[in-house]
Amino acid sequence: MTDIAKRAREITSLRDFLALLEEAGQAITWSERVMPEPDVRNVAVAASRDANGAPAIVFDNIAGYPGKRTAVGVHGSWDNIALLLGRPKGTSIRELFFEIVGRWGDAEAQISYVPEAQAPIHECRVESGINLYDILPVYRINEYDGGFYLGKASVASRDPEDPADFGKQNVGIYRLQLQGPDSFTLMTIPSHDMGRQIMAAERTGLPLKIAVMLGNHPGLAVFAATPIGYEESEYSYASAMMGAPIRLTKSGNGIDILADSEIVIEAEMQLGERVLEGPFGEFPGSYSGVRKAPIFKVTAVSHRRDPIFENIYIGRGWTEHDTLIGLHTSAPIYAQLRQNFPEVTAVNALYQHGLTGIISVKNRMAGFAKTVALRALSTPHGIMYLKNLIMVDADVDPFDLNQVMWALSTRTRADDIIVLPNMPAVPIDPSAVVPGKGHRLIIDATSYLRPDPIGEAHLVNPPTGPDIDALSKKIRVMQGGASA
Amino acid sequence: MSETTCPRCSSAGAVADYRGVEAGALIWTIHRCVVCCFSWRDSEPPSAIGAGVRSGDFAVDAANLDRYPKILQQ
Ligand SMILES: [Zn+2]
Repeated sequence: MTDIAKRAREITSLRDFLALLEEAGQAITWSERVMPEPDVRNVAVAASRDANGAPAIVFDNIAGYPGKRTAVGVHGSWDNIALLLGRPKGTSIRELFFEIVGRWGDAEAQISYVPEAQAPIHECRVESGINLYDILPVYRINEYDGGFYLGKASVASRDPEDPADFGKQNVGIYRLQLQGPDSFTLMTIPSHDMGRQIMAAERTGLPLKIAVMLGNHPGLAVFAATPIGYEESEYSYASAMMGAPIRLTKSGNGIDILADSEIVIEAEMQLGERVLEGPFGEFPGSYSGVRKAPIFKVTAVSHRRDPIFENIYIGRGWTEHDTLIGLHTSAPIYAQLRQNFPEVTAVNALYQHGLTGIISVKNRMAGFAKTVALRALSTPHGIMYLKNLIMVDADVDPFDLNQVMWALSTRTRADDIIVLPNMPAVPIDPSAVVPGKGHRLIIDATSYLRPDPIGEAHLVNPPTGPDIDALSKKIRVMQGGASA
Repeated sequence: MSETTCPRCSSAGAVADYRGVEAGALIWTIHRCVVCCFSWRDSEPPSAIGAGVRSGDFAVDAANLDRYPKILQQ
C-alpha cells in the first residue's frame, strides 16, 4: 500500500482530512478579514473555478464571528477526492471512477462504538438557551437565498415505525434553513428516505427525532449523498468504501452519530407544521421557489472544542456539490446496470447530479443501447434525475467530452433520438414542465451494427386460389360431419 | 413591536435573532421576518437587502401566503 493510501485509511474526522489536504497543498487558511456576505461566497466561487485542483478553504477571520471558523470546498475538487481515496493528485476522473467501482460492495463494514463520555463530539454540550448563531458562523450562500442555510449537514434519523433497525436509520444531506435561534426547516421530497420518514411520522403521530451532523468524516459526507437502498446503512457503506473503521456514538436523543464530528444539532420535528422555506440556489444553477416545509425544534447541541463549521458553496456549476457527489452518483448506476447488462463499460453521471449522463456500452445488437438507456431511467437514481442520456460505444470514454462530442458528431442519426414526454422529474429542475414532471431525452450516439436490417425482410407468400378455397370448404364439411 | 421592515415582503415587525459583537463593538445584526421567514444580516450589500434595489423577482407576497405550496402533503 502506498503511503498516501495508508494515510487515507487513517482519516477519522474532518480535522484529519484537512491536515492531509494541507500537506498536499489542497487546503488553505484564509486569514484575511472577510465579511460573511459577500466575501465568503466570492472566495468559494473563485476557488471552484478549478474543478480539478481547488483547495479546501478554512476562514478564521470573519467579521462579527471572533474565534469562529468555517470550511468550504473540502470535497471541492477531483484532487481532493483523489486524496480521500488514497490516490495521488492528478489521478484522472476515469481512474477515480474505477477506484470507487472496485470498492463498491466489496469490503466488510467495521463499525465501532465509543462511549458518549469519551466521544470528541460531546466535548461541549448546550441544552438550554440554545442559539445556533452562537455556534455557527453562517453566511448567505447565494444572494437571494431565503435565509442562512446549512448546506452540507448529514442528517441522521431513525425510522419512526421501526426505531431499533440500524439499517433503516437514514443519513442524508438535506438543505436546512435556519428559522430563528433554535429552529430550522428541512427540505426533502417523498422519494427521499427522509421524506418517507417525515410522512410516516405525520401519518402515525410518532415523534421524529434527528441528529444533524456538521463537519464530518469526509467519507460519510459522500455516502450521505449517495442513492443507496432504504434499508442499507450509510455508515456501513462509508466504512466499507474507506476500508477503515467508522467510530459511532449516541446523540443525546438516541441516534447513532459519528463520534468525531465537529457539531451535532439534536432536534425534533413539529408534526404537521409548515413554514415558508426558500428560495435556495440549487444544484441545477437556479433558485428553487418558496414552499412550506417541515420545521424542527432544536433540543440540544454538542460540539468539539473550537469547532469548524463546514458548509458548501452550491449554485450555478461547477461547484463543490458536483465533485462531492459526482462519482458516487455514477458508481451505483453502473453497478445496477451491470447486473442486467454486462456490456456497460462506464457511467458518467457527473453533471448536476446526473441531469445529464453519458453511458458507454458494447452494442449486443442493433438498437441495444436504447434498451440500456431505458433500464438506466428505471434505476433508483434514474427515476428522478437522469434527464438527458447520451449513449456511446465502448470505444468512447464517457469521461472524455472530446470523445463524446466526436461520437455525437459521427454516430448520431436524428431518428435515434428519443423523447419520453411527461416523466417524473426532480422538482427543482428548472426545465420541468411543472415541478416534478418533465421530458426525458435519449441520444443514441452508438454506431449501428451491420447489417442494419431495415428493408431486408421478404414477405412469405402462402398458397391461395380456387384449390385452397375448395380444401377449406372440405375441411368445414368434415368438421360438421364429425359433430353431427 | 419592532420597526424593522422586511426587505423581501415589506412587513414590519422583524425580530433580531443575533448580534455579531467584537470587543464590545456591534458589527452587525441578524434579523428575521416573522411573516415570510426571510432572514438577513444588516451588513449585507444593498443588492440583497436594499428596499427598491433588491430584485423584485424574489419578493414574497405577504398578503397571499396561501399560494406557496406545502411539501410532503399526505
Ligand atoms: Zn418578510
